Amino acid sequence: MSALFLTQTAAQTAAQAADTVSTGEAIAFWILGPLALAGALGMLFARNAVHSALWLALTMLNLGVIYMVQQAPFLGFVQIIVYTGAIMMLFLFVLMLVGRDSSDSVVEVLRGQRLAAIVFGVGFAGLVVSAVARALTNVTSVGLAKQNTVNGGNVANIGTSLFTDFLFPFELTSALLITAAIGAMVLGFSDRNAKGVKKTQRELVEERFQGNRPSPLPGPGVFATANSVATPALLPDGSIAPESLSELIESTAKESLADDLAEVSGTADGPDAHALSGTKEDLA
Amino acid sequence: MSGFFSQAQQLQAPDVAYQAVLPMLLVLGAACVSVLFEAFLPRERRWGWQVALTVVTLAGAAISLIVYGNDAPKAGVKTFSDVLTIDRPTLFLWGTLLLLAFGAVLLIADRSVEPGGAFVAQAAIRPGTLQDRVQAAKVGMQTEVFPLTLFALGGMMVFCAANDLLTMFVALEVLSLPLYLMAGLARRRRLLSQEAAVKYFLLGAFASAFFLYGIALLYGYAGSVKLADIATAAAGTNRSDTLLFAGMGLLVVGLLFKASVGPFHTWTPDVYQGSPTPVTAFMAACTKVAAFGGILRVLMGAFASTNWEWRGVLWGVAIASMAIGAVLGLTQTDVKRMIAYSSVAHAGFLLVGSIALTSKGVSGTLFYLLAYGLTTVATFGIVSLVRDADGEASHLSQWAGLAKRSPIVAGVFTFLLLALAGIPLTSGFVGKFVVFSAALQSGMAPLVVVALVFSAVAAFFYLRVIVLMYFSEPAADGPTVTVPGAFTTMAITIGALATLVLGVFPSFALDWAGAGGFTF
Repeated sequence: MSALFLTQTAAQTAAQAADTVSTGEAIAFWILGPLALAGALGMLFARNAVHSALWLALTMLNLGVIYMVQQAPFLGFVQIIVYTGAIMMLFLFVLMLVGRDSSDSVVEVLRGQRLAAIVFGVGFAGLVVSAVARALTNVTSVGLAKQNTVNGGNVANIGTSLFTDFLFPFELTSALLITAAIGAMVLGFSDRNAKGVKKTQRELVEERFQGNRPSPLPGPGVFATANSVATPALLPDGSIAPESLSELIESTAKESLADDLAEVSGTADGPDAHALSGTKEDLA
Repeated sequence: MSGFFSQAQQLQAPDVAYQAVLPMLLVLGAACVSVLFEAFLPRERRWGWQVALTVVTLAGAAISLIVYGNDAPKAGVKTFSDVLTIDRPTLFLWGTLLLLAFGAVLLIADRSVEPGGAFVAQAAIRPGTLQDRVQAAKVGMQTEVFPLTLFALGGMMVFCAANDLLTMFVALEVLSLPLYLMAGLARRRRLLSQEAAVKYFLLGAFASAFFLYGIALLYGYAGSVKLADIATAAAGTNRSDTLLFAGMGLLVVGLLFKASVGPFHTWTPDVYQGSPTPVTAFMAACTKVAAFGGILRVLMGAFASTNWEWRGVLWGVAIASMAIGAVLGLTQTDVKRMIAYSSVAHAGFLLVGSIALTSKGVSGTLFYLLAYGLTTVATFGIVSLVRDADGEASHLSQWAGLAKRSPIVAGVFTFLLLALAGIPLTSGFVGKFVVFSAALQSGMAPLVVVALVFSAVAAFFYLRVIVLMYFSEPAADGPTVTVPGAFTTMAITIGALATLVLGVFPSFALDWAGAGGFTF
């Protein structure tokens, strides 16, 4: 009985406390509020994407603490652990992977768009802030005192409403998560190493020994006249070995090979005594 | 250990009317099974299994819907602790969604028009690279499209039935996210397709943010996210209306964006043009049904008592939407973009019915959605048939003299365009008639006059295409008309036949649409 009475009194005091803003809460708000605002502005105006992300993390941390001050400890911790800790840090990883040097383009694709965006953005913000400020004068605020004391407290009450009142939307978010996972895989995964795309070592070996040439292809003809891999190798009779030509490189034109062919087959002219150099080609 | 568990208090799990929500659970469950197919079946067998699963699911859901609908309580059923309402409009919207999704799935599954299907074989390969040219010739597609379609459909079904704003928001995301993905999976013109996906994603994210902010303000106003509670709070309190109307404004912006109404339409032409045509058909038909289902429910459920204050604004939005759709539609040179602007104009007509806020207005809008959706699916089916070497020949000049190449296709397309224009003996005429007469009855005569003027203007650009197809000489290197396979033929036939039947004997569908009102 007395325990019940005590709980009731505690609830009443907490409910009364919810209606007034204590000095400590006011001090916390006036420290955290400007910091959160500074973080938001810093995010907007930072040139570097990484700095932007860190400014945003500052805003989120401050919001988390504000939630805690406003009797929502669970929400505050979730904000810090999930948003600041997990999501923002993942975001930073991505930024680092993409490369933090990649800055956004400063070219305006639509003329006057930036000005219009600023005017409308500031106008919208002003409208919403003034409307909410005006509306708050006759809204009765409801504290979380009751939710924090009855029925097992804050976390238990959140859990209860997740599994009773909001069971369906809660379950439905699983569809969202599955879709996100599929999307990431569809857009990110390409099976370059899948079967049939790239030949395995075994397939290469079998192909080679079942083909008509198990031995390596002849190398290029690197002679005194040329040291390019585009020079074809010559067979003993002076003809070109076609296998020695690379498919990728344009091979030497046939005319410039004529002298080599003549030399190999022994029909070439002898050295010219009147010329300074040995062959006709050099005279030309 | 038992001591630990005994400390926990027993939760009272909410009651679920399983029979009522069975169609929706079937679709969402099949989506999960379909994901498992993707995980465990070898690549070459996936397409067949996925198509079979999707078609069987849609049929099963439709059967369970009919079985339940035959003896459903007229007042509707609220379930899952009142977050879902299965009332007559919900049943009609679900039926419409399942039918339209069936048509769209037939187009998605088709592999005869474009060898290998309209979807890319591997989305992760960058456009324009060597591998991309290799895969363009390869048969096979990203069969993840099927689970994504089912998830989107499930989200749309929840969206129509949601009785509180939070569920509505989650459903909005569930229906949007797969659509963003599917928009980027076209086999041809991949850069255009990816651009469409990014545009849709970014603008959609902004619209969701507006929607969510609106919910937050409304929660501040009413202390609840349930539509009924907001209505109660709006009916008799001295709370500041600023929160109510600011919240409603932001909420409605999010909804109008999804329905591609009026000044919130800017994504529509680009996304319709860039997406693979079957996805465009799905998006144009089903998303519009879901979005207007949501708009009707929110306006009737939460804001009916304050309509004096906001109706004027939505008048303006409806007029802007009709004007934008009709006038900009005239200047388009691409068939898909033209149909996109036509859908903006149609969204304006639908909004006229939605803000009538009477049972006639609801039933008229529901009928209009059914008629418009079926016509749209068939229209995009035809668009996918006219092709040249680069894929779909969607430029209007390429459609010149199409009647001489293929009289049947040109004839069916003409009929569908006449239905979109609202000529008698087509479903489009009946739809416009019921919507406008409902609007007249609730005292919106000037708006109806404006709407009639703009439907006349819009009729002009449909007629322009018809004239182009029949009275100009075909270009020498013009496109060819592909002979469609069974799937596409079926989708076009269903759409065109329904357009005719709903135009000549509309009474049975009008009876279904008007069988009962919303329950909140």
